[in-house]
Amino acid sequence: MFQYIDLNKLKLLFVYDKTDPLVFTSSMFLFAFFVLLLLYRLLNKSKPARIYLIMIFSIFFYYKASGIYFLFLFVVSFLNYFMGKWIGGAKKKKIRLSLFLASVFLNIGLLIYFKYLNFFIQIINDVRGSQIAPIDIFLPLGISFIIFKALSYVIEIYLENIEPVKSIRDFSLFIFYFPTLQLGPIERASKFLPQVEDDNPLTKEMIGTALFLIMSGLIKKVVIADYIGINFVDRVFDSPLRFTGVENLIASYAYALQLYTDFSGYTDMALGISLFLGYRLTDNFNAPFKSLSIADFWRRWHITLSSWCLDYIFKPLQIKFRGMSIFGNALALFITFLVIGIWHGPSWTYIVFGAIHGTYLAFSISTKKLRTKFYKKTKLTNSKVVKFLQWFITFQFVVFAFIIFRSQSLPMAVDMLKQIFSFFHGEVFLQFIDGYKLIFGLIIAGYVAHFLPEIIKEKIRQFVINSSVITKAVMLVFVIWLVVQFRFADLQPFLYFKF
Amino acid sequence: MISERFKKIVLKELDLDDFDFTDETTANMVPGWDSLSHIQIIVAIEKDYKIKFKGIEILKIKNMGELQNLIDSKLSVAGAG
Repeated sequence: MFQYIDLNKLKLLFVYDKTDPLVFTSSMFLFAFFVLLLLYRLLNKSKPARIYLIMIFSIFFYYKASGIYFLFLFVVSFLNYFMGKWIGGAKKKKIRLSLFLASVFLNIGLLIYFKYLNFFIQIINDVRGSQIAPIDIFLPLGISFIIFKALSYVIEIYLENIEPVKSIRDFSLFIFYFPTLQLGPIERASKFLPQVEDDNPLTKEMIGTALFLIMSGLIKKVVIADYIGINFVDRVFDSPLRFTGVENLIASYAYALQLYTDFSGYTDMALGISLFLGYRLTDNFNAPFKSLSIADFWRRWHITLSSWCLDYIFKPLQIKFRGMSIFGNALALFITFLVIGIWHGPSWTYIVFGAIHGTYLAFSISTKKLRTKFYKKTKLTNSKVVKFLQWFITFQFVVFAFIIFRSQSLPMAVDMLKQIFSFFHGEVFLQFIDGYKLIFGLIIAGYVAHFLPEIIKEKIRQFVINSSVITKAVMLVFVIWLVVQFRFADLQPFLYFKF
Repeated sequence: MISERFKKIVLKELDLDDFDFTDETTANMVPGWDSLSHIQIIVAIEKDYKIKFKGIEILKIKNMGELQNLIDSKLSVAGAG
């Protein structure tokens, strides 16, 4: 029967194809990961062999998405390993500082070259009316995540919070580690590296949690995010003027859910996959739509990015501006969020997104004393009504900023808001539900699941941990079946409503 | 050892009646000591002792003991000068 296998096709599975990266939800990844796990278990007597195995798999993972640019991983790894070593070993303060600044400059330089150079050329062209041609630059996979992860290592050494790692092999594992390559989490060396030295025994709790995370991640990503994205959200955001305000509004809330289920679904899978290898990663999300303030939101949304920016951008700026009292804090917050905005990509929509959140937080901090006084005077502190209002207002602010974040351009975001505020046509709502039953059901189900008390999610996790192997297998097969149904389902037809 | 003067400044800035500070006390053990009150405490110390910290010195502080040492080192430099 082997003569029927097309060797060329088989070969294609192992070569770079930018249209076919090894994403966690692909069947190729599932298969490759299964083989990796088998080998990993077989090698459980040899720590170095296991480390090299993960490194080779990581390079393959990166190569599948970025081709020859897998060398980028080596560049980042060598650069930061040696910079860290030299900063740690430097005796004179001036040399330490120069080395530190050089590594920040080189890391950020790499990021700017690959990700932002054409954006800056575009800005120069717009401002000066010049015609500088854009440069053909390849964008290596996950570059912003990888650079921030590496930078945290040299910063922590400079701040004397950690010692430089002795082994370049262990440090490269930290940089290469495939579960974090595509979309983070932006792990800290101080949390990851001690685990490399451990034996990473795989406990029953870890296996159960890993399965729970992979299943919840698959459902979040494929059943909710991808499905409502392709069949509804994308269509509205692609041409908001073709839809009524009510559809634009539903699409906005649907997008907030889509983004959350997409990113947190991916993160769940990354955490689960990593647990199978014995490494615990940091979670990026903690029920963000339950936030009672914007500051609370950023403690629950993309946590590894926000804590990175809090530690390495906000705090130094805040110290710098400390003479300006509360205004200094507000300014430091605003600048930090501008950076968070532009970190997401070379686009004005991201910069404005950052500026909006910066403004929210600057306003919030400037009025905090006043509000606390008001609540104390009116004895409303901790009252349910106030909490509900805080939650409600925060949620609207978050969704509003996401409209800008998702729009293809700022004028299109304005179009969308115009439709919502001056072309609403509320009567379309019932037709919408009728026409998009499954989509609407998924949006509601997604939000309901999100707002469930955390204790219920914990109980499900415990159930998976304590269930028998057969029950685990049945659950996994069911989830994969469900995912396949949604992945290969026909597209929902476009619907136009009468009003 | 945490000096009374230092302790008083922290209690005042955090609006606390009393707290048992040790050298190992970290910000997250003390109610109300967040990133905003942290900088207020730093500014209050600088004003009260008439000293000035460098940015990097503030970033490196990990607990109350280290902050006390930093204050002491600034005072001894000021005294010697």
